[in-house]
Amino acid sequence: MKIIIAGVGDVGYHLAKQLSSEEHDISVIDIDEGHVEQVSARSDVMSFHGSSTSVRILKEAEVEHTDLVVAVTSVEAININTAILAKKLGAKKAVARVNSAEYVSEDNLEIFKSLGIDYLIYPEELAAIEIVKLIERSAATDIVEIEQGKLSIIGIKVDSKNPIVNMTMREIAEKYNTTSFRVTAIQRGFQTIIPSGDDTFRVNDQVFVITIPEGIEEIMKIIGKENVHIDNVMILGGGKIGKKAARLLEDKINVKLIESNTEKTVELADYLRKTLVIQGDGRDIDLLAQEAIIDMDAFVSVTADAETNIITCLMAKHLGVSKTIAQVDNVDYVPLTQTIGLDSLINKKLIAANIISRFIRRANVISAVTIPGIDADVLEYVVKPGSAITKKSVKNLKFPKGAIIAGFIRDEVGHITVGDTVFQSDDKVVVFALPDAISKVEDFFN
Amino acid sequence: MINFRVIFNIVGFLLILDGIAMMLGIPFSVYFNDDDIFALLISGAGTAIFGFLLYYFTKGSDKEIRKREGYIVVSLGWIAMTIFGAIPFIVHGSIPNITDAFFETMSGFTTTGASILNDIESMPHGLLFWRSLTQWLGGMGFIVLSLAILPILGIGGMQLFVAEVPGPTKDKIHPRVRETAKRLWGIYVLFTFVEAVLLYVGGMEFFDSICHSLTTMATGGFSTKQSSIAHFNSPFIQYVIVIFMFMAGMNFSLHYYWLHRKIKPLSQNEEFRFYSLLIFGFAFLITLGLVVNSSTDLETTFRDSLFQVVSMITTTGFVTADYEMWGVFYHVIFFLLLFIGGSAGSTGGGIKVVRHLLLIKNSALELRRLIHPRAVIPVRFNKTTVHQEIVFNIMAFLLFYIAIFVFGTLVLSFIGLDFLTSMGAVATSLGNVGPAIATVGPVDNFAHIPAFAKWFLSFLMLMGRLELFTVLIIFSPSFWKK
Repeated sequence: MKIIIAGVGDVGYHLAKQLSSEEHDISVIDIDEGHVEQVSARSDVMSFHGSSTSVRILKEAEVEHTDLVVAVTSVEAININTAILAKKLGAKKAVARVNSAEYVSEDNLEIFKSLGIDYLIYPEELAAIEIVKLIERSAATDIVEIEQGKLSIIGIKVDSKNPIVNMTMREIAEKYNTTSFRVTAIQRGFQTIIPSGDDTFRVNDQVFVITIPEGIEEIMKIIGKENVHIDNVMILGGGKIGKKAARLLEDKINVKLIESNTEKTVELADYLRKTLVIQGDGRDIDLLAQEAIIDMDAFVSVTADAETNIITCLMAKHLGVSKTIAQVDNVDYVPLTQTIGLDSLINKKLIAANIISRFIRRANVISAVTIPGIDADVLEYVVKPGSAITKKSVKNLKFPKGAIIAGFIRDEVGHITVGDTVFQSDDKVVVFALPDAISKVEDFFN
Repeated sequence: MINFRVIFNIVGFLLILDGIAMMLGIPFSVYFNDDDIFALLISGAGTAIFGFLLYYFTKGSDKEIRKREGYIVVSLGWIAMTIFGAIPFIVHGSIPNITDAFFETMSGFTTTGASILNDIESMPHGLLFWRSLTQWLGGMGFIVLSLAILPILGIGGMQLFVAEVPGPTKDKIHPRVRETAKRLWGIYVLFTFVEAVLLYVGGMEFFDSICHSLTTMATGGFSTKQSSIAHFNSPFIQYVIVIFMFMAGMNFSLHYYWLHRKIKPLSQNEEFRFYSLLIFGFAFLITLGLVVNSSTDLETTFRDSLFQVVSMITTTGFVTADYEMWGVFYHVIFFLLLFIGGSAGSTGGGIKVVRHLLLIKNSALELRRLIHPRAVIPVRFNKTTVHQEIVFNIMAFLLFYIAIFVFGTLVLSFIGLDFLTSMGAVATSLGNVGPAIATVGPVDNFAHIPAFAKWFLSFLMLMGRLELFTVLIIFSPSFWKK
């Protein structure tokens, strides 16, 4: 697929790198020469230096033959302009990143549709929504919903109190004999394991489970982690994510928001109704103690600085806060932070990239999700009549080792795969696959 | 740490390619009933098997190719290809001497075209074909070829691409390196095929038409005839070769654009305009000078002048007339032409037209800068500003080029070659041209050069083909520091 990415700042750079490694033809446009050089030195893309709102540059990048234009510069107006221009110049689809909640509201979508923009991404809002989800299901480290929650993938950290520690997959299956969930991946340190019957669970593993909606409580019980009800949350950083998260949470629970910039705090206090806005430096332990951090059920750190977020979350963990969420936009840090004991991560780039990957057409794949910190991709395929996957039941399929068929959606209802499952055409199948197994998986759906 | 595993993996792949390519000449040997079938078969199979073993035992290596690995792969790949490529000549015995065989093969791969053969026509056809094929493989570059067919990681591929493709800046014509390499080779194959057909139509033997089109498109200059293109006394053949030498000396991305009906980049490309101006300017100048005191007709004089000028500027080295017979002034002209070179992104060698153009521009602007010391006066090329770093890079290139030329001349004169021969041999090797002046002129060859000088000149050819930096960088201490 031919894709133009306008703006290779944080989100664009990650997208360019990821998509070019997936064999898409990527052209990037950026006004900043340094950005252009960086991306062309580190990934296989064609780069254009200049403004993405220039018709000449868009034409040079062959916008008329482009399947998708993704405008993700830091300036909203440029993104909207780029998307409109690109669409008028012949691009098949155009996506723009925006910075205002107003634009992405349902009421205003029509305006942008009529201008030719197919989708607006507001990564900060998506990040805020994810924070809310993680707080509502505090036992989970990650939550990915598939097809509006017909299936969910939940990440859980195994601690020493867990009844499943040192049990093999097979033993667990015998003991709990359930069809409402299935373990699909284990992240152990830097290694991602697609488990088979003989794999055991160890302390500090991060386990990814696919489940139907009714199964969530059951998993929590089995795994020995009841959802801790969260009443008090402290948010560090009053940027777009912190602000939005506070707004979404403040009607249900008590929220304290700490922001160092005085002018910003005034603005925040005006925007937020019930949240207690505190001016101060979040790295100041005395301030945190004064604001009773030990009474908090959750601590969310979403300042612009990843290092600050990691350190403050570790500190909160140390002080006994049961749930910590850190925003870490530096992708290279992701595996590291999970080994040092942080609960959950928010990564703006991955969130934006996951949204955009919906528009990327891979053979038969209807959606693909990347979960921070694990190597496996979650791919959703639609079963074509006569494809290899329909020929045998799952246990006889000889599915590649690095991949697992987690669940499927038939007639709008989510199901978990068992050994005897036989797929029918038009089933939507959810597969966990390590990168090197993807091509083999693809054969089954052709 | 330098990842030698992946380096040997790629070199192994290149040797498989080398071995297979050697055996491609066997059908000709069979057809002409020559005695080189065994030599080609054993060398080709041996090289391919050795390459396969190297490839096989380094398989599954970490595919990451960083800058350092990129430079080593390319330099080492070229040397390995040459060493193995020389084997058929030695096994068959037509070039029994290792020095001569290595020189001839390096001259082939680097598309120099300087030969040590005293009697080319007595060579068996399979070996002649292999000799032409070395030039063709080296012309567009076998690293670029392997990028097109070997699934190397794209990002690492770019490092290899940068280290092999000539020119101060490397343009992609497709977002992915692999697709770029495929398109470049596609154009190359297409043009070679068209030229071969035209030469055949023009009256060449089938075998000769193929060999000559291989060496024209590569701007190589190996001929299957002792007297080069002068052997074919046909204006049609000579004009066809002129046109294809001219095209081979152009940036191949321009060919890609005009083949896709985008004429604009061609007419607006400053390098292309300067390249054409140089060629036709020199051709007219020489025609004018010769026609005044010559008995031959205007067309022949023009054709000879144009042919020689195109052949030298594109660094091909084919010959239809002995310019050394034309007078001292023309010695100087043709000596200077050795320093021009083809366009960036072409198969030609030498300094490259774009480097001259940018330096001329920069120097001219320097005069304006002296008058307006505070003015911001950037060098512009194809309507965009050229970065200062690129100008500095070109200056460094030119300085290295001249320094190596001077040093090389000193070395050759030290071992006893005369002044003009030393200068000519070094300039023509470094520029990958082929013929030079004095005792290595257009109708002479390199057989009489001492053995040490042959090794030395082979090394200069490699440096020239890989544009100095790729080879020089390996000798710099900072390259090996962790």
